[in-house]
Amino acid sequence: MTDAIYPQVRIVTERLMNPETVERVMNLIIGTGGVRRVILNGPRLPPTVPYGPAKGLPNPTEYRKKIKIGDQDVQLEVHVGNIVLELENRDFIPAIREACEKGITKFSWYLQEGRFMKTAPSLVDYAKYGPDADRDIIGLTEPGKSGLVILQGTK
Amino acid sequence: MAYKPQFGPGTSTVAENRRRVMDPTKKLEKVRDISDEDIVLIMGHRAPGAAYPTMHPPLTEQQEPDCPIRKLVTPLEGAKHGDRIRYIQFADSMYNGPCQPYLRSYIASYRYRGVDPGTLSGRQIVECRERDLEKLAKELVATEIFDPARTGIRGATVHGHSLRLSEDGMMFDMLQRCILDKKAGVVKYVKNQIGEPLDKEVKVGKPMDEKWLKQHSTIFHSLVGVPFRSDQEYIEYVQRVHALRTKYGFMPTE
Repeated sequence: MTDAIYPQVRIVTERLMNPETVERVMNLIIGTGGVRRVILNGPRLPPTVPYGPAKGLPNPTEYRKKIKIGDQDVQLEVHVGNIVLELENRDFIPAIREACEKGITKFSWYLQEGRFMKTAPSLVDYAKYGPDADRDIIGLTEPGKSGLVILQGTK
Repeated sequence: MAYKPQFGPGTSTVAENRRRVMDPTKKLEKVRDISDEDIVLIMGHRAPGAAYPTMHPPLTEQQEPDCPIRKLVTPLEGAKHGDRIRYIQFADSMYNGPCQPYLRSYIASYRYRGVDPGTLSGRQIVECRERDLEKLAKELVATEIFDPARTGIRGATVHGHSLRLSEDGMMFDMLQRCILDKKAGVVKYVKNQIGEPLDKEVKVGKPMDEKWLKQHSTIFHSLVGVPFRSDQEYIEYVQRVHALRTKYGFMPTE
């Protein structure tokens, strides 16, 4: 969850992005220095076939890759279509826009300002994770999955 | 006067395409070649060349009850031999996919005998006797109602119909059953329709270009294709059906 005092932006692309594009644009975005939190959002790419007669078989796809953001390895578990950012303040938005212009060149995209991250745990969060769940994680990632990644050295 | 089916309303290219592919008197345009073996591999119901497993003895060997309907209806080849009932399932992208789930069921019902088509939200399944299914599936894949990038043959985990395309123009597939070979520009299946890896890649041809897809699309799309609101006749028809259905229980007159 997040404090509602920080501005948030969402970058939506016309196409679902390849890991290489995500890596390129994310490094440019992180380089602006004003990003507090990031959610990479999109349809899930499971490591094994989740259901059907082939359930449990490995599911190799070229989009489920490890990418490098800053100095940190990030395992992509989704085919990224939206990038949600929480910023230090609104002054960074032009720099983020510029980063996207450099990073996403093959297709169109747009940047929206608004509120895209959870500010309070939902009933489902309570049912899933109980009353003592880590409130910093809720809404950013699924607890119990691979968890979040803390990018070092951006401050 | 003999009844002449109209197949559907509309003046747009989408409406025209819908009428053309539904009409059994018009032949579907063939756009690619696919071998019998390849279709069997993609569907994954039996090994290529293996005998058809049966679920009952051939009709000639079993006692049929004295039934006037059985005398009227000629059984399909598969039914004669007692084949199993198997399926093929398609997912179609709404980004100018050359076919779409509801239309597929109409096509199957108008064009083929002995099939059980079923439409779900973003996918469509056709069930049939195995050897007849293979013939039917070959026609569905080799003709204009299939595009290697915008149509997927998917038995399970079908999600993709309403999602954005990937960078190379392929419809999202969680299991990535088919991949675009960037050098050859050809789409090849590396997994069968339920996601089991294939021993041999199956090539299904080049993705059609945007112009062809837009001309042959059977789905309205306000951003990338023909907007639904541009077809006045279609809107009037849909509104009329809606009004009549709503009023029917109350006052079944117009």
